[in-house]
Amino acid sequence: MARQAVKFRSSKHNMDYVLLTVVLFLVGFGLLMIYSVSSYEAGIEHNDSAFFLKNQAQNTVVGFVALFIMIKFPYKELQRFDVLAMIVSAVLIVLVKSPLGITRNGASRWINVGITSFQPAEVAKIGVIIYLASIIQRLETLGRNIIRTPKGLAIVMVPPTIIAGLVYLLTSNLSSAIIIMGIAVAMVFVAVPDYKWFVVIGVTGVAAVTALVAYVANTDMSSSNFRMGRIMAWLHPEAYSTDKAFQTLQALYAIGSGGIWGKGLGQSMQKRGFLPEAQNDMIFSIICEELGLFGALAIIILFVVLIWSCMVIANKTVDRFGSLLVVGVMAHYAIQVILNIAVVTNTIPNTGITLPFISYGGTSTLFLLTEIGIVLNVSKNCR
Amino acid sequence: MAIKNNAGRRNMTVQKKKTFVLCILSVLTLLLLCVRVGYLMIFRSEYYTQLATQLHERERDIKAARGRIIDATGTVLADNKTVCTISVIHSQVEDPEEVIAMLCRELGLSEEYVRKRVEKYSARERIKSNVEKEIGDRIRNYNMAGVKVDEDYKRYYPYDDLASKVLGFTGGDNQGIIGLEVVYEEYLTGKKGQILTLTDAKGIELDGMGERRKEPEAGKDLYISLDMNIQRYAMQLAKQAYETKQAAGVSIIVMNVNSGEILAMVDVPEFNLNDPYTLIEEFQVQTVQQETTQEGQTETKQESKQDLLNKMWRNGCINDTYEPGSIFKTITAAAGLESGAVRLEDNFSCPGFIIVDDRRIRCHKIAGHGAEDFTHAVMNSCNPVFITVGLRIGVERYYEYFTKFGLRQKTGIDLPGEAGTIMHQPDKIGEVELATISFGQSFQLTPIRLMTTVAGLVNGGKLVTPHFGVKAVSADGTSVDEFVYPVSEGIVSEDTTEKLKYVLEQVVENGGGKNGYVEGFRIGGKTATSETLPRGHGRYIASFLGFAPADDPKVMAIAIIDTPQGTYYGGQIAAPVVRQLFENILPYLEEIGYQ
Repeated sequence: MARQAVKFRSSKHNMDYVLLTVVLFLVGFGLLMIYSVSSYEAGIEHNDSAFFLKNQAQNTVVGFVALFIMIKFPYKELQRFDVLAMIVSAVLIVLVKSPLGITRNGASRWINVGITSFQPAEVAKIGVIIYLASIIQRLETLGRNIIRTPKGLAIVMVPPTIIAGLVYLLTSNLSSAIIIMGIAVAMVFVAVPDYKWFVVIGVTGVAAVTALVAYVANTDMSSSNFRMGRIMAWLHPEAYSTDKAFQTLQALYAIGSGGIWGKGLGQSMQKRGFLPEAQNDMIFSIICEELGLFGALAIIILFVVLIWSCMVIANKTVDRFGSLLVVGVMAHYAIQVILNIAVVTNTIPNTGITLPFISYGGTSTLFLLTEIGIVLNVSKNCR
Repeated sequence: MAIKNNAGRRNMTVQKKKTFVLCILSVLTLLLLCVRVGYLMIFRSEYYTQLATQLHERERDIKAARGRIIDATGTVLADNKTVCTISVIHSQVEDPEEVIAMLCRELGLSEEYVRKRVEKYSARERIKSNVEKEIGDRIRNYNMAGVKVDEDYKRYYPYDDLASKVLGFTGGDNQGIIGLEVVYEEYLTGKKGQILTLTDAKGIELDGMGERRKEPEAGKDLYISLDMNIQRYAMQLAKQAYETKQAAGVSIIVMNVNSGEILAMVDVPEFNLNDPYTLIEEFQVQTVQQETTQEGQTETKQESKQDLLNKMWRNGCINDTYEPGSIFKTITAAAGLESGAVRLEDNFSCPGFIIVDDRRIRCHKIAGHGAEDFTHAVMNSCNPVFITVGLRIGVERYYEYFTKFGLRQKTGIDLPGEAGTIMHQPDKIGEVELATISFGQSFQLTPIRLMTTVAGLVNGGKLVTPHFGVKAVSADGTSVDEFVYPVSEGIVSEDTTEKLKYVLEQVVENGGGKNGYVEGFRIGGKTATSETLPRGHGRYIASFLGFAPADDPKVMAIAIIDTPQGTYYGGQIAAPVVRQLFENILPYLEEIGYQ
């Protein structure tokens, strides 16, 4: 019955072009910034100032191919892959510990697939979105508020938690684990009418974090571990300027020295070796340095528009599965943007999170654009 | 079915509402982050910009031009010469071979030396500093990429050894080592400037990013009272005496009696200020001797070279003390007249010696001067009379005058290393000591101390501070520091001054200082011949102190000849030096209207 209604209302001309425009702009801007940020170092290290630009351009092309496929591919077919998506994600994550896995900078996060390599954690994010959208829709069809029963909640939450656990344990990638859990919580939050539990979880979480920070701040740091050290570095970046807070402090230098108007495109000093691999997680700081406060705010506002567009699409969609897919993607973008900017501005302790569409990175670009393709596909079926 | 559907709808509405809430929460969080970014980029901007700039900039100092030293005639005695520092920037060199060849050719360096530096991977490698400007300009004109020519200042003394021990010289960082260069360091030295260049994290300078310059501030010019013409002439006379008398050294000081301004200060042998680390001939002989005696002991040799340099740089006029001898009788006379122990017309008799306690002290005239009044005793420089006067004054009073005349203090001259007076402790002075002090023996002081006190006695009782520095003027002339020196008045009465001037003029007119007489001028003065310690080696110091005009003294000169060969009497060899000096400088001073 629901399907018939959807069919009846579907129209090919309802695709959300605002979203597409914003994404195109962000991707184009990202390429520009990657060139600006990486050209100096690339010229020295790779003898080709466009080294990173070329790689990212290839990734972007692949990403757009995926985007257009997803626009054409009926998204409802994705519902069939829900459990499969979980299994595939889990297998891929486990594969990083196999001979196919690639270890860089002490962390096994990549899988070699011959011509290229990719991060299974990125696959897991989209996998979790598909799984949850599908499973929540199915539970809702089965009966009212089944999701709120312990069994229902377990069906919804256990697989994403396992995936997040695997990501954290096998690839030492805390940030991706946080994002996966964040997506899951956001989607469940949307699916159930309750606020109370989320408020309780939120307050408990905040209290726990505060307690941890207070504990770490008052502890003798000589016997500290890696993550506690990060918290200390976050609290006192100047005191850890040569090791743990090096990157953070260099990012702050970049942001602070940008001022209101910035130094102008290409004029960053921090990208000249002071902030290593600035095209990755810390690219936002160089945007601040070169384009100033206005450039930085413009980028944040573009992300606000992006998130807002997702919300509009999600709420215009009659189909619960499609709507939840869009909510998942929206949560994914929002969490990643918020965490990235919070890290770069030293608002939270440093953890490696890329800025969607702008940071350098093949796998994330591919799947972010794939997700946009899904959202656009859903938007075609809006009222 | 219907219920399910309703539930589904209701939940769909809830879902929409909660999607909206989720979106609003995200947007709010992002807006909070905007505030954070804004805070960092507006309120913390200055702080982080400063830290970042410190990180990005490499600074190179620009030396400030040191202030010049200018004499009373306006002649520049210490100047700056532009020299160049040649360096290469590895990353900018395009054709290393060409650069190496050019630098070898122009700088006369070995290829090996230059190659090592050109090929070294460093931000900036210095090839050679203190290169003549001419060569530096030539190298710059090659316009070779990566070769940098920086201009720099080096101290330069146009008159080589003129007033070498007064002016002093500077070291590698243009800091004063001896002389006025040290004392007026704070005025002469400028403020260093900086070239701030942006570099990447490896310290490689970035092209086209521009550089910031903090301009150096030149030091102040020091104007001194020394008159180059007088200095030059005094040096000529000193050299002449030094050579003809084969003396160990000759010192001449010319001073303004009333202000303490020093017009000339010579201490031959002098050295070349542009080459202060090369021993002059006199000292070289000594090294050769030492080398032959201390073969194989390189360390000792090294030490002795530094010792010899220090000896060469020593200014005998202020750094060394000596027994003043008869010139000091001026002071005994002043003390005697001031205390009333003696009057000019008092009569004495000199048998050629005097017994003090159980000691027999001889007069320089063995036969004795016979009957004479005090004026003649001064003219004759009669030891027994001065001993008598000294004893009449008594130890306590004599010591009081000694102190009052400033003899126990340093003069405070604006040159480094002034030596203090070596004097008996008051409780150790017995009759014999007092007797010897009365005619200038058994204690030591510096020539400048002696001269300053005598000047105070003949100028009406003003104890001035001898000095060179007159003022320091900033390079643009906007800031002038005039130097003021302490003067203590009333060390003797006007009456004593008048009597002293009269007696000292008599010394030159008719007494032992006849050789100091200059026709057409009224000269006062006193000779001295003192045997150096240890006695009995036949080594003497001959000296003469003269001033003019005798009735209203303006200028005073002292000539001290250390260990002359042959005749060693002050009246015979030192007085003529001052005479010749006065013959030339008195008309000159009149001409320039010197007060």
